[in-house]
Amino acid sequence: MKKQTLTLISLMLIASFALAACGTPAAPTEAPTGAATEAPTAAATEAPTEAPTGAPTEVPTAAPLYVPPAECAAGETCITIWHQWSGDYLTAIEQSFKDYEAAHPGVKIDLQKPNDVSAALKVAVPAGEGPDIIAWANDAIGANALSGNIVPLDDQGITMDFLTSTYEPAAVNGVVYEDMIWGLPETQEGIALVYNKDIVTDEYLPTDPMNFDDLLAKSKKFFEDKGFPLFCNQGFKGGDAYHIAPAFFTFGVPTYVDDQGTVYLDTPEALKGMEWLLSIQPYLDQASDDNACRAEMKAGTVGAQWGGPWLLSDFEAAGINYGVLPMGKPFVGIKTVLMSQNAIDRGNAEMALDIMKYYTSAEVQKQLALVNKTIPAQTAALQDPDVQALASLAGFGAALNLGVPMANSPYANAQWGPVGDAVAAIWNGSQTPAEALTAAQAAIEDAVAQMK
Amino acid sequence: MVSWSNQRKFLILLVFLGPTLLGILIFNIYPISFNTYISLTNRNQFHPNPDCSVGLTGVFEPTCWGVFKEHTTRGLATPFHLQEPIYQNYSDLLGDFFTKPVLIAFFGIVVCFVPLIVAGRINKRFENQIDRPVSAGVVTLLAIALGLVLAYLLKAPAGLDLIMKSGDFFVVSFRTILYVLLCIPLFFIVGLAFALLLNSPNLPGRAFFRVALIVPWAASTVAIMMSLVWKFFFQEHGTINQLLSLVGGKPQIWLNDPTISFGVVILANVWYTYPFFMVVILGALQSIPVELYEAAEVDGANYWQKLVNITLPLLRVAVIPVIILSAITTFQMFGTVWAITEGGPSRGAGTPGATELVMVYAYKQVFRTAAYGRMGAFAVIMFVFLFGLTLYSLRVSRITKGAYD
Repeated sequence: MKKQTLTLISLMLIASFALAACGTPAAPTEAPTGAATEAPTAAATEAPTEAPTGAPTEVPTAAPLYVPPAECAAGETCITIWHQWSGDYLTAIEQSFKDYEAAHPGVKIDLQKPNDVSAALKVAVPAGEGPDIIAWANDAIGANALSGNIVPLDDQGITMDFLTSTYEPAAVNGVVYEDMIWGLPETQEGIALVYNKDIVTDEYLPTDPMNFDDLLAKSKKFFEDKGFPLFCNQGFKGGDAYHIAPAFFTFGVPTYVDDQGTVYLDTPEALKGMEWLLSIQPYLDQASDDNACRAEMKAGTVGAQWGGPWLLSDFEAAGINYGVLPMGKPFVGIKTVLMSQNAIDRGNAEMALDIMKYYTSAEVQKQLALVNKTIPAQTAALQDPDVQALASLAGFGAALNLGVPMANSPYANAQWGPVGDAVAAIWNGSQTPAEALTAAQAAIEDAVAQMK
Repeated sequence: MVSWSNQRKFLILLVFLGPTLLGILIFNIYPISFNTYISLTNRNQFHPNPDCSVGLTGVFEPTCWGVFKEHTTRGLATPFHLQEPIYQNYSDLLGDFFTKPVLIAFFGIVVCFVPLIVAGRINKRFENQIDRPVSAGVVTLLAIALGLVLAYLLKAPAGLDLIMKSGDFFVVSFRTILYVLLCIPLFFIVGLAFALLLNSPNLPGRAFFRVALIVPWAASTVAIMMSLVWKFFFQEHGTINQLLSLVGGKPQIWLNDPTISFGVVILANVWYTYPFFMVVILGALQSIPVELYEAAEVDGANYWQKLVNITLPLLRVAVIPVIILSAITTFQMFGTVWAITEGGPSRGAGTPGATELVMVYAYKQVFRTAAYGRMGAFAVIMFVFLFGLTLYSLRVSRITKGAYD
């Protein structure tokens, strides 16, 4: 009798373990299918980076690799969009597509967010089950143009004149590759210090964005006074070549790898940047990813987060009294909407292009800028007085002006992994900056050589 | 001469075997040959698309088949083609190994193991002789000592270092073998300890513990989740650091340290796998006749002597297949390591991270850099290597002996 009771209790214990484990979808899963795996752009919503550790934060545990397009009723046109928007950011975007559906009866827009866009595209597009539109950062253009997942828009009637007259020059550069137009630009993005005004008083704020010695001194002073770090940057611990970029570019590195495949990592400028990184290490958190940084910002245990406009809607919801301070030269990415080969196959090209034009139009982008604090690539939306009046825009705008445009050549794909690994090795002390940079240079050059 | 009845017999056999043969063709032969073919090409992130007019590509590549052909993507890239020379990917991976200094170093390391092999032979030869001049243990110890002396004389550590430098393949396979060699004894020791404990008749709440100790094994269906729990223990703001700060210790970034990370992935794997060993050993323990122990007690044997001379030898039959099975799964370890460290901490660009085992390495190479051709070659080499290892272990354990007799 007693023995049976014990067995029963034990069985229930196992059952409760299993249930507890299955019922925790909130936990971020870096499962093999996770976004952490893939090409740089597949990663975070916000950043066009590989960000192995930052990425999974947005990935829902049970999200399948690929969801087939929703059933389409007869007479309806269904457009599938694969995107990487998330959180509060996505709510406003969804609304704008709902408005489009309301204005165009018979059109159904299906927003999907695959775990790993790059892997999903490889399978879905050849099978004819891919999206019609892909919303992605511009560094994805080269690789996808090579593989043929996306199609040039020149064939669809988009001209350079239209582009230059509608969008900002930097954004136009971002979508043109090999003299062809591959997408329409949505927003421009770069990172800056988003600081908590209640914690970081003026005495701790660096005055010159290009003076990293000052940033180091202020970080030291802040850490000694308050006992916690002045700022949090998810790229400093390594594995995220996008967020670490200011530590390279501000010291004079032109870019990681240019369109000709020249690599700039074994330069004295890069070495100086990495030595600076080591000098500021004692005053920073040792292993914070994007989620941890956001949590610390909300808890008030860090002064600032070094990130992009995608942080703001979250901070606003948390009631943080924030300011935006440009710092160093960030990577300037262009978020774009690209047309998939499948849109052509299905005869949806015209409708897809109309939606792309609608989404990047002045009205929609103005609306999104006001809610999401994004920086439109659309000139008219950017020049709008309401948008110009946004305090965050001034800060991020200045950061964009300082920044280095992110290349859209296929070589761009080869930079994220090696730079991320090199920074991680420097941060955890397994290599000296010089060794790490030489190795990264060799690794990227090896990848570039495979192009031949 | 094939008679009518023979033909019919053949057809009936074919009908019965058909489904299995088809399965083998689709799930084994086709992927293996496709992979082997890809390993001879330069398919990578810059040459992702097939050229269906090339004979073998058209046969193997699914996107060249009728149904899919209309959707085949036509990008700007030039299609992949056979490498020049054709074994280029293999020589990229292994090439430096076949140079004189590396081969000499490899030979040196092999020589260090010769005394052990000889000792094994000697012990086997004298196995059944009652009065032998020296005991088996002494011979083995002597052989180990001789091996160490040889290792010192032939500079084995430096040689190993040289081999490691000749390619990622050696780094990751050596690390994986080390991982397996460290895991297996721990599986056995922990499993045996718990099995002996649970087998003792005077343990209160035995049924409860028997079930509770299997929980990790049951939890392996949600392995990724439990691995994330392990990761959480060792994070910067994780459980261990919080406990440390309670007692006034200094928080550490545990997973930034190569050795500690390696220890953590071993620990997690041991936690998952010991119940398997425990259950099997428990079953085997219960099948050992009590009379043997009674006879030993009459002879005045203590607990330790009974364990070493009765229990362990009789467990051997049950445990060896388990060891081989778990060695294979441990060699293929992916999920747990990926969830905890993602192969890190980084040891720099172009070098596998400190916990990058073979599967993690291949996965990263394929899905981060789309190096299909090179990783196809890696898979082929790994297959040959594992196939040899498996054949050898089958011989050692004679696991399939019954089937062939």
